Amino acid sequence: MKQLIYKHVSKKKEQWLMPSGMAAAPLLIGLTIAGLHPAQATAVPNAMPQAMTRVAVQPIQGKVTDAKGEPLPGVSITLKGTTRGTVSDASGAFRIEADPDAVLVFSFIGHKTQELPVAGSKGNLTVRLETDERQLSEIVVVGYGTQDRKNLVGAVTQINAEDIRNRPVASFEQQLQGRVAGVQVSSNTGVPGDGIYFRIRGNTSINASNDPLYVIDGVFVNNQSLQKITTQGQSNNPLADINPADIESISILKDAEATAIYGARAANGVVVITTKRGAYNTKTKVSLNASAGESWAPKLWDLVSGPEHATIINEAWVNDGKPFATRPFRPKDQLVNGVAGRGLPEEQPTYDRLGDIFRAGALRNYDLSVSGGNQQTRFYIGGGYTSQQATLRTNDFQRASLKINLDHELNRKIRIGSSNILSRSDRTNARVGDGPQGGILQAALHTPTYLPKFNSDGSYAKWAGFDNLDVLINNTDMHSISTRYIGNLYGEYDIIDGLKFRSSWSIDYNNYDEYEYWNTLTNRGSASKGLATSSISNNLIWINEQTLNYRHSFGGRHTFGALLGNSVQGSTATQTLAQGTNFPSDAFKQIASASVTTSSSTRGQNNLVSVFGRVDYNFAKKYFIEASLRADASSRFGTNNKWGYFPSAGVAWQIKQENFLQNVPAISDLKLRASVGWTGNQNGIDNYASRGLWGGGYNYQDNPGTFPVQLANPDLKWETTRQANAGLNIGLWNNRVSVEVNAYSKYTYDLLLQVPLPQSSGFASIYRNDGEISNKGLELGINTVNIERAGLQWNTGFNISTNRNRIEKLSLPVDASYATERMQQGYPFHAFFVYKQLYVNPETGDAVYDDYNKDGNLTAADRQFVGTALPKIVGGLNNTLTYKGFDLSVFVNFSYGGKTYNNNRFFHESGGTRDDRRAINKNQLNRWQKPGDITDVPRITTIGNNYNLSPTSRFIEDASFIRLNSIVLGYTIPKRILQRIGVTSARVYYNGSNLWLLSKYQGPDPEVNVTGNQTTQGYDLGTPPLPRTAQFGINLTL
Amino acid sequence: MKKYIILVPFLWILTGCKYFLDVQPQLQVDESLAITNANSAEVALNGLYNRLGSDGYYGSNFPALSYLSGGDIQWTGSQGAPQEITARKVTADNGYVGSAWQSIYRTILAANYLLETVPNLNDPLLTATRKSQIQGEALAIRALSYFDLVRGWGGIQLVLQATKKPSDNTGIPRSTADATYAQVLKDLTDAEPLLTETTNRNRVTRKTVWALRARYHLYRKEWAQAETYATKLIDDAASYKLVKPYSAFFANNAVNTNESVLEIAYSNSFKNGHFNWWLPPALSGRREWAPNAQLVTLLNDANVGGNRKELIAQTAPPGNLWYGKLYYRTPTGTDPAYLIRIAELYLIRSEARAQQSKLATALADLNAIRDRAGVPLSTASTAADLLLAIEKERQVEFPFEADRWFNLVRTGRATAVLGISDANKFVFPIPNSEILADKALTQNAGY
Repeated sequence: MKQLIYKHVSKKKEQWLMPSGMAAAPLLIGLTIAGLHPAQATAVPNAMPQAMTRVAVQPIQGKVTDAKGEPLPGVSITLKGTTRGTVSDASGAFRIEADPDAVLVFSFIGHKTQELPVAGSKGNLTVRLETDERQLSEIVVVGYGTQDRKNLVGAVTQINAEDIRNRPVASFEQQLQGRVAGVQVSSNTGVPGDGIYFRIRGNTSINASNDPLYVIDGVFVNNQSLQKITTQGQSNNPLADINPADIESISILKDAEATAIYGARAANGVVVITTKRGAYNTKTKVSLNASAGESWAPKLWDLVSGPEHATIINEAWVNDGKPFATRPFRPKDQLVNGVAGRGLPEEQPTYDRLGDIFRAGALRNYDLSVSGGNQQTRFYIGGGYTSQQATLRTNDFQRASLKINLDHELNRKIRIGSSNILSRSDRTNARVGDGPQGGILQAALHTPTYLPKFNSDGSYAKWAGFDNLDVLINNTDMHSISTRYIGNLYGEYDIIDGLKFRSSWSIDYNNYDEYEYWNTLTNRGSASKGLATSSISNNLIWINEQTLNYRHSFGGRHTFGALLGNSVQGSTATQTLAQGTNFPSDAFKQIASASVTTSSSTRGQNNLVSVFGRVDYNFAKKYFIEASLRADASSRFGTNNKWGYFPSAGVAWQIKQENFLQNVPAISDLKLRASVGWTGNQNGIDNYASRGLWGGGYNYQDNPGTFPVQLANPDLKWETTRQANAGLNIGLWNNRVSVEVNAYSKYTYDLLLQVPLPQSSGFASIYRNDGEISNKGLELGINTVNIERAGLQWNTGFNISTNRNRIEKLSLPVDASYATERMQQGYPFHAFFVYKQLYVNPETGDAVYDDYNKDGNLTAADRQFVGTALPKIVGGLNNTLTYKGFDLSVFVNFSYGGKTYNNNRFFHESGGTRDDRRAINKNQLNRWQKPGDITDVPRITTIGNNYNLSPTSRFIEDASFIRLNSIVLGYTIPKRILQRIGVTSARVYYNGSNLWLLSKYQGPDPEVNVTGNQTTQGYDLGTPPLPRTAQFGINLTL
Repeated sequence: MKKYIILVPFLWILTGCKYFLDVQPQLQVDESLAITNANSAEVALNGLYNRLGSDGYYGSNFPALSYLSGGDIQWTGSQGAPQEITARKVTADNGYVGSAWQSIYRTILAANYLLETVPNLNDPLLTATRKSQIQGEALAIRALSYFDLVRGWGGIQLVLQATKKPSDNTGIPRSTADATYAQVLKDLTDAEPLLTETTNRNRVTRKTVWALRARYHLYRKEWAQAETYATKLIDDAASYKLVKPYSAFFANNAVNTNESVLEIAYSNSFKNGHFNWWLPPALSGRREWAPNAQLVTLLNDANVGGNRKELIAQTAPPGNLWYGKLYYRTPTGTDPAYLIRIAELYLIRSEARAQQSKLATALADLNAIRDRAGVPLSTASTAADLLLAIEKERQVEFPFEADRWFNLVRTGRATAVLGISDANKFVFPIPNSEILADKALTQNAGY
């Protein structure tokens, strides 16, 4: 019996240990070693080997000030060559124990680092730190650590979050648009909180994700939407759950040297986000930022009036060869086959539905933070609230967030800390994009302008498959609430000087709760007497990670570093969906009241195990060499290929450190870098992509049914991207001019592709490693200090980059989610595959299409590639000017060479084929009318190819643009005024965004895309344009 | 020594890793667990009917190919695919053609799986009768699938084994139309003895096979057999008869009336898209297409449409737009799909008899349909007149089912009636993506 019990217990323990328990062990062990174990707590100090001699240690105290002599709190003071140190307090004072031969290093963000030997100080030091604008981000966050910018080997761009907070958008990635060379950001829609397009150095994948890996305070966060109730276009952006105001810095890791340490998820680059933390030994600081303003649509679509619409339709009738007498818009009393005429064109009214649906949206933003710290503990507490009304009605975005970061030093060797983001994003949605039912923008944009809002009997008129717009404006009832927790808990232990152990637990939990109710006035709800859907999705990612970090300098000129780590990660996604119809009345909106209900639930899971390491060495800060390796094993992959290995190596040569440049004062920095490495991609594919599967839900007569849905591929494995990078950094005149150039070549192979199978097999496709894609590019970033004088400073930041994307190998072409675009070997991504309209015959008015295969017939074989949605060049130019208390920042971004398929024109210029079912735009009036007319808008007719062939190149437009992205004008109120009211600093500002747009695009804005499906880009279909905004705000610090 | 303990965490990977990385799906099951016993065979059979009634097949897309091509339906929506079909500009990229093709072959896959696995099952709960019945149903549905493929696209690839790995069923050349029809007949012949002679309007029985054979023989111009098999059902008056009035087979939420030989049943757990394409917005549809003026006139004509005018209605003024209302129910998407009705067997037999110069009985069959519709009885006295009258009767009897186009192509009347001069266009194009994906597949001429 005893034995039995013992066995039972032991089994239980095993279960607890695996798998999550196995991962828990390291932290426990780590903490145990670190001395947290109660039994050892007192013993540890004595047990620790004391390497340093205590004999000559003496207390040093002093004060740190800025250039003007004002006390400088928060300055980090370390003993050179060690990790020991302290921080200056609120009055700038510090106290530290040091050997007589020690050297103190004083460093503080935005100031030049200064070194002072203890010798001769007589125990009291006064240190004046000079400001250094150009070194604001001297310390750069990289994968699993930080690096001095001067010592960087990889291609990394770090952005100070404060510098980009000029545009009132929901998420930080959108604010990065035009800021970083090599990064392409496109907003897709004007609805705040919707998904955006974000690419680092191009597209590498067709069916797996092209988004970078996002790491926030060490947490690998989910950026794939959990949204299940469709809004018919873009789905929500999960990164909008994060308040940009909580972010301190954003590091974009671009080349393989920088990213390979993230292995199987790094092929699309890595975005490492560091949130704000308090500072040790500082007075508690209270900051408030409040702003309010408005957004509006700068431009809408040009639609024809009712009489013009009628004229076009009558013209089609006649051009079709039908008698003028029976034209649709004829006097109402003229019956044809018993059907009355619609009235003469000039009798037609015009209704402005677009004016009804767009509005001035209110913008509100409040951020309050409290931060500070004493000798042992530092903290940051931030609360934020944002409310952004879209210019398109019934779309609102609100977010309330709480940020708590804590760090505590248990003793000199042990630190623990935690980073926490808790947020709630509340969206009021609408069906914005494609699809007529409930489509709020489509109903406004596509309903012919002459058609009335009400039927003769006073009921709501509904046209062309659309809802009545007034009904939608007043009855659209779609909401979603995202509740998000992103947290990290770490313990750090300095084992010996230079050797640090860190263990951390992280969680990204997201609950996405959606609800919609379509009442009996709406098309969706009318027949079913009310229709409601509720969906609750939960996504949990947990990560346990251990790292050992070692750094050692020896012989004065050699520096050696090593990193060894492991991580275990699990992700679980579940969804529960319920739908109800037949409600007692529209007053009842919850599914509990519905008489017909259906429900379902799903669950998916994947796990990842990783081991990684990195070594670096530099000689005299002149020659740098770094190498890393990560091994990942994923549950997603086939039994034959569970493990993937991702190595990288890089070298750098700091030429400035060479003797021959030491005495060239004009050159302050000159560094050559080169790297090569392999990274992987496993994101975005199904959790069970390698298995042969039968699915349920193929029901019949309310009995369950099954059907084969996927063929097995046990050989399935990662996509691999090989990347080579060469870079050059130049600094001139004490870095008043700094230039960074990077050239890269990425080659992705073993694409995770859903390879089309012949449908006769009964399957549409199979996941296979098939296909190769290349991205080659150049990046240039220039920062200059044009004027630097007392009271006046003018800085310029400019970046420009180009990326050439090409599908190098693909066994079969793959249609994008909107088949106007096709991916095919030899062509870039997002290439439009269309019938090419050569011209409109001036004699006949008929469109002439290119007979691509020259067979004399116009068939599907004549479709060809005409341009791509990918721009050739993107970039941005930022100028900041400060004069006395005033500051001005003007930011322009641009995109050149991309195309957009204007599918609104496909509907609005349909030559009468869509009669009373689609609105007509002004461009249709430029149609061919008589012999000799030169135009690209063919003769209006419903017969032949003029308007029955699709897709055609006629609607592919140049999407290049230059945008005055933002202007910020601020005034900092002089200190002498503020002192009287107890305020440390105060600034008032105006902030305008999207103030001007230069583009040839016929729609309101070329920066649009109808869908969140990554295979389609640059496809405009009822997409709300980016808003123009104006805000006033105040920053207060107490 | 102690500091090396921190290396222990790295060791765990060697132990728990394999288990941790083997994550089993819960939403779907592994192929090896799919059909293993009586229950899993029955649910896979349900899956077969589900595919037969899927949106790409009889759930809307396949019948739409027929009636949109048939000249009586106008495109009134926004999609490019139906626009192409009604404008007779069908290209090999047409989405409706592609989706029907895909759905029919998926139905065949489900049938092939059952035919391969069920005979080998050793489950005492699976009786020999059920075993036969399941195989019979799979054979009959596979026959119907190939019948629809051959009448839509001509001779196609015959896939008779389940695809279990990507290399299966590759390199199969197209069969001739005759060889495809031969496979249809073989499957129907094999199915017949396996099935019970019962009446079930939602599933295949021996009687369903007879009805399908009547249609098969009509298409093959085997008049005597067409007559024989049609008669088997018409004579079974206890089970099958023309319901009166016409609308009685669909109006007022009627299902499984005596009119039906085979109709796919839908419910909340399995819906179709018919309503969405036909109904106007006020009734939750998008009216992507609608009866055209010619058809509206015919249906409203008391001498032609008669009580079949119940198939159409008008929206509120000032719109006054005509729409089809064969598919209209709430919850939306639960309208049955009508695969074969007794009315068709009357018209099959009428035509078969006219072709055999049995004019009197042929006329009687035709007039049975006209009588039910409440229109004056036909007095056609020659075989030619009768055949023309039958053609016109079918036009208003099955305007929203998969009939008109296939019927005109079958009788060689498409050129005369629809004015299509290019005989290549009597079949749909093979989807372009298939030509790319399958080297063994060739495109139909003219596309």
